[in-house]
Amino acid sequence: MKWRSSALALWIAPALLAVACSSPGTRPQTTGQTKYRFAVMPKSLDIPVFNYAKIGAERQAKALGNVEVIWRAPDTADQLRQKEMLESFITQKVDGIAISCTNGDFLTETINRAVDAGIPVVTWDADAPKSKRTAYYGVDDLAAGKILGEEAAKLLGGKGTVALITSMGAYNLQRRLEGVQESLKKYPEIKVVEVFDIKEDSVRCVEIIATATNKYPNLSGWIAVGGWPVFTRNGLDPVDPKRTKFASFDTIPPAPDVMRAGKVQILLGQKYFGWGSEAVRLLADIKAGKLPPNPIIDSGVDVVTPANLDQYLAEWARLEKE
Amino acid sequence: MISLARVLKVREVSTLAILLLEVAFFAWYLWPEDGRSHPFLNGGNALLIFKYSAIYGIAAIGAAMVIISGGVDLSPGAVIALSGVVTGHLFVNSGMGLGTSVGGGLLVGLLAGAVSAILVVPVRLPPFIATLGVMGIARGLAFIITEGRYFDVSSKMPGGWQPMGMPAGWVTPLVMVVLAALFQVFMKGFQWGRAIFALGGNETAALFSGIPVGRVKTFVYVVAGLLASIAGVLLTLVQGQGKADLATGYELDIIASAVVGGASLSGGRGSVLGAVLGTLIFGVLRNALPQIPGATFYDRLIVGVVVVGIVVMDQLIAKKGS
Repeated sequence: MKWRSSALALWIAPALLAVACSSPGTRPQTTGQTKYRFAVMPKSLDIPVFNYAKIGAERQAKALGNVEVIWRAPDTADQLRQKEMLESFITQKVDGIAISCTNGDFLTETINRAVDAGIPVVTWDADAPKSKRTAYYGVDDLAAGKILGEEAAKLLGGKGTVALITSMGAYNLQRRLEGVQESLKKYPEIKVVEVFDIKEDSVRCVEIIATATNKYPNLSGWIAVGGWPVFTRNGLDPVDPKRTKFASFDTIPPAPDVMRAGKVQILLGQKYFGWGSEAVRLLADIKAGKLPPNPIIDSGVDVVTPANLDQYLAEWARLEKE
Repeated sequence: MISLARVLKVREVSTLAILLLEVAFFAWYLWPEDGRSHPFLNGGNALLIFKYSAIYGIAAIGAAMVIISGGVDLSPGAVIALSGVVTGHLFVNSGMGLGTSVGGGLLVGLLAGAVSAILVVPVRLPPFIATLGVMGIARGLAFIITEGRYFDVSSKMPGGWQPMGMPAGWVTPLVMVVLAALFQVFMKGFQWGRAIFALGGNETAALFSGIPVGRVKTFVYVVAGLLASIAGVLLTLVQGQGKADLATGYELDIIASAVVGGASLSGGRGSVLGAVLGTLIFGVLRNALPQIPGATFYDRLIVGVVVVGIVVMDQLIAKKGS
C-alpha cells in the first residue's frame, strides 16, 4: 500500500507549492463594497513589455479599491492556449475581461460568447475588431506603422534598401506592417528586400538579424514593427550603425541603453502602463454603467530619438514611481 | 472477491485514481469563499477540459502505440498543424467540399506517418531523428502553404454548424473517447495489437517469434500519423482556422501524457486508455492552475513536479511488481 501513500504525497506537493506561491491577500475579500474580479490577459508571459501593463493594471485596481486583477496568459504566445484560458474565464464567471489578442479573428467567437454571457470585454494592445468587445485601448496600429515608416525613410534620406521585421498572425502587427509599407511607397528609391517573420521570439529575431546582415552586407536600414531587436542589449551587435540604421517599436529597458550605444536611431514608445491601467479603468466604468464615447481609444505613440531620449527617460521614471 | 489493491494495480485504474485525486484536490482548493458558483467544479468547465484535452488525447493514442512499440514520435504537433492547414487550403482556397477537404487533411497524416515509417524501417534511422525530421518538414510545409497567414475555415462553415446534431465543441471529446475505446480493445484483444507490445518488449525475440517486425512498425507510425491528422482536422473545423503555428510544442505534452498514462519509454509497456487519461491529468492542470490566485508564474513548475512525481511513482510500482 506504500505506493498509494505516494499518490497522496504527489498531490500534497503541488498543494504546498500552490499554497506557497499564493499570498493570502490575493484571494477576494468580502467587504461591503461590490468586489470585482477582472481577468487581464496579455498575449504571453514571456514578452517583457507586458510587465509594465501588469504594474499599471494592479496600480489601477489598488486605486479603485474594489477590483482584483487576475493576470493570466500562456507562457509563450500560443493562440489556442490563450483561447482555452479565455473560455476558462467565461466558465469562472469573472466580472470582466481585458485582453491583448494574439490572433483577434481566432478569438472573436469566444469574445462574443463572453459578452453574450454578460461579461464585458475590452481589448488592449492588440484588438479583435470584428468581435463584440466594448472598447479597444492602444495605438492606432496603421497610423503608428506609418509614423515608423516615415521616420525611418527620413533617417535614410529617402533612399536605400531596408529589411522589415514582424511576427505574422497578430492583427496589430499586420496593421503596423501595412502602415510602414504604405509610408515607404512614397519613397520610390527605398527598396524592401525582405520581410522576416520572427514568430514573437526575441532570440530568433537576433539570429535572423545576424544571418541577414551576412546576406545583405550593404543594407541601409532595418525596421521592426515590434520591440524584439531591442529587448536584448547585444541583439544588434552584428549591425554596423555607420552603414545600417535601425528603427524599432518599443522603448522598454534595455532599449534606451541600446539607443545610447548608437545601435538604434528611432524608437516608438507605447503607453505600456496605460495598457493595464486604462483597461481596468474601462472595465470598472462599464460595470458602473458608463460606456466610453468612442470604442477605439487611440493611446498615441512617443517618437524617441537620441535627441529627446533623456527627456523621455525622465518621464518614464516618473511613471514608474507614481 | 477482487481486492482493492489488485484493482489499483491495473495501470488504467491507478491513472484514473490519480486523475480523480487531482480533481478532488482542485475542487477543495478552489472552493469559492464568497458565495460565488464553483469556478472549477461545474459542467461547463468539465466540457472545456475535455474539449481542449481531446486535441492532445487523440494524438496521444498514436504516441502511446509508438512508445509501446519501442519508438518515439516527435512529429504529432507539426502533423496536427499541417493537416489543419491542408484542410483549410482545400476548403477555403481550392473551393473543394468539406468531405474532400477533410480527406485531404487525413491523407497528410497517413503520408507523414508513412515517411516516418520509411525512415525508421528500411532506412534504419533512430525514431527520434526520423520523426524530428518529419516534424520539421511538416511544420515547414505548413508555413509555405499559408505564407504566415491562415485559412478562415469558419467563414465558409454553415452558420450554427452542428455535426450529427450536437454542438461543435462536443465532437472532439466524443471522437477521443470512441477512438480510445476502439484502440484499447485493439491493443489488448487482437494479435496485431499484442504484437506491438511484443515488439517493444524485445524486438529480437519478437522477430524470432515470427512477428513481422517491419510491418508492425510501419503500421504503428502510419496510425500515429493518421491520429495526429484527425486531431488537426478536428482542431481546424471546431476552432475555425487552419494556421501553421497551431499546436507548436504539443509533441512533448503528447509524449508526456502517454508516459504519465503508463507508457514506458523503453517500450513493451503502456496503454492507450492510460495515455488519454494522462492528457486529462494535464488538461485539469492547465485549467485549474491559472485559477490559483498569485500562481501566475508557477504553472510550469507545478506541472513539472507532477510529471516527475507520477513517473517516479510508476517506476516504484513497476519495481515492486517485478
